[in-house]
Amino acid sequence: MPAAPARDLEIDSAMTLNQVGVGCDVMIRVLNGPGCERLRDLGFCEQMRLRKLSNGRNLLCSVCGTRMAISRELADQVWVAPLG
Amino acid sequence: MDASEETATIALLGNPNAGKTTLFNALTGSNQRIGNYSGVTVEMKSGEFRTPHGKKIRLLDLPGCYSLRANSPDEQVAVDALHGRIEGMSKPDLVVCVVDASHLERHLQLAMQAIETGLPVVIALNMIDVAERAGLRLDPVRLSEELGVPVVPLHASAGKGVVELKQALRFPFPAAPEASWLGGSTASEETRRERIFEICALAARRPDEHQLTTTDRLDRWLLHPVAGWVFLVAVLFGLMWAIFSFAQVPMGWIESLQSLVSSWVENVMPDGDMRSLLVDGVIGGVGGVLIFLPQILLLFFFIGLLESSGYMARAAFLMDGLMARAGLSGKAFLPLFSSYACAIPGVMATRTIDSAKERLVAIFVAPWMSCSARLPVYFLIVPMLLHESEGTWKQAFVLFSVYAAGTLAALVVARLLRGRLGPDTAKSHFMLELPPYRAPQWKYIFRHVLDRGGAFVTKAGTVILGLSILLWALSTYPKSDGDDGEALQHSAMGRIGAVIEPAVEPLGFDGRVGTAILTSFAAREVFNSTLAVLFSVSEDGSDVENRDHLRERIASATWPDGRPLFTPLTLVSLLVFYIYALQCLPTSVVVAREAGSWKWAAGQFVFMSVFAYLASLLVFQVGRLFGF
Repeated sequence: MPAAPARDLEIDSAMTLNQVGVGCDVMIRVLNGPGCERLRDLGFCEQMRLRKLSNGRNLLCSVCGTRMAISRELADQVWVAPLG
Repeated sequence: MDASEETATIALLGNPNAGKTTLFNALTGSNQRIGNYSGVTVEMKSGEFRTPHGKKIRLLDLPGCYSLRANSPDEQVAVDALHGRIEGMSKPDLVVCVVDASHLERHLQLAMQAIETGLPVVIALNMIDVAERAGLRLDPVRLSEELGVPVVPLHASAGKGVVELKQALRFPFPAAPEASWLGGSTASEETRRERIFEICALAARRPDEHQLTTTDRLDRWLLHPVAGWVFLVAVLFGLMWAIFSFAQVPMGWIESLQSLVSSWVENVMPDGDMRSLLVDGVIGGVGGVLIFLPQILLLFFFIGLLESSGYMARAAFLMDGLMARAGLSGKAFLPLFSSYACAIPGVMATRTIDSAKERLVAIFVAPWMSCSARLPVYFLIVPMLLHESEGTWKQAFVLFSVYAAGTLAALVVARLLRGRLGPDTAKSHFMLELPPYRAPQWKYIFRHVLDRGGAFVTKAGTVILGLSILLWALSTYPKSDGDDGEALQHSAMGRIGAVIEPAVEPLGFDGRVGTAILTSFAAREVFNSTLAVLFSVSEDGSDVENRDHLRERIASATWPDGRPLFTPLTLVSLLVFYIYALQCLPTSVVVAREAGSWKWAAGQFVFMSVFAYLASLLVFQVGRLFGF
């Protein structure tokens, strides 16, 4: 299957990090947007588990035990699915 | 040891907060600033050490970076150093990649990119203690097998594992590893990432459930939209109050020492020019600045404490919203806050800002964060303004307002300038790692404080001493036979003052204050020395030159028609001038270097000087209109 439709399918069944409730544990499915490379450098990679810690102008997340703050624009580029 | 022996070069690479600088200090024993905040190392530092076999090693501490893609100027420095693209610096013989064991999944990304460069690599698996406390099951041997490079577990801040690391760096260095995940082609992000997951599943198993840590519990309050701000304002206000009040005792000691030395010189030397030079010029001038050493040390101590404990990153997180209104991001907070201590490290710390235009704006406004060199002037004026002795909460409030005035103007100008520079070609977003709260690393804080104190004393002993002697000579020669007032007017300083007076009179100052301002364009602290020299030339030597005395002297100064020179309005006008004027040559040199343009530095100097003059003029003239 071509890569682009597979990604679209993943995104269809996922939600962005902004849409996740505070305290939820999720797994990153797809990164889609201009900030992807930087997000991956910071540890926001596909299949990585994270917990959303707070909402607001910048979101707080815990990725592999590290607390990261990212802007809402960036959080919109992180597509996640609930764990379990 | 053979002097012609070859020195091998090792580069220390790692993510911010991986403990690179701590390891650098543990290996070289060098003095180096440590900060629990991303991007404290913005310049390359180098040191030397010997392996257990006597091989001399030159160690480069590269700026912290998340990847070798070079997204910001400090990351570019690290990448250039690894590829031998920095002039006068050869390619390193080996890379020690410092990896935080408790965040292995994230830090392996950089380690694997380092392996892909084809340089020999040794992995320093740092913070092994933190990882074990977090319940991670680490297998360094397996990790070494999987990556094909030596892996040394470490607890660098306690000095554990440093000897083993030195053993691993013995000569000849290990061969350059083969990046097995490349499969002969260039690595795609995906293949590297998959390999990281495989390696972590084998060598670093993490407990599944998310555990609530002390940091989580503290952050619930310290990052709270209301409680977090209350705490931040309390911390900043407390810092000002502590600087004002804690320094009183050591300042008293310096005053006593100064008076002892002055009295001794007056007793052993006959009256004459040489005694006047020593007492009024050297002891009065240098002492008038040196007395502020305790306050400056305290300021650096508190900034070190905030950085080292991990709170500084939280402050940046909270400040992001406010900074956004000024067209900046939370990442500009550390450079601007560091500028409260000194604009030079602040300007250099702007390298951590990804956006080039935002960086230029931060460099431009950084000198408006009142630096420690302004403190002597503030401490002289603020108690005079309130007619009370030093150390009260009212003075802390005024000082807080002074800092706020500089900061607010900086943010407004940043906003205007950011609008004029236009949007970035590539949009940058706010991303910040919040390190766990840690017990402050006292050893490094005190080292840093002593370094800064040493630099201040050196400055007092060189630049300020030289200027004090020059000022004394200017205010003493040419001599006249009249009384002290006439002698001063006749001197070179008196004549300069007379020339300047028409320009500074609309601000409420006379020629003497104008001269003091003029001399302080080389370094702000000289303002106090100049006043000390200018207002004590008529001393008969029976009194001691100290700050209270200087304050009394200038408080009783008058215009020729008998009006008091220093009214509350004049003092506020003077304060305003010092908040906004850029009177620091070294800062301009660093700005020119960092902005890559002398025009930027010159424009900044002219703009700030004109702004300071106009702001001071506005305050004085409007104040007079309202009858103050």
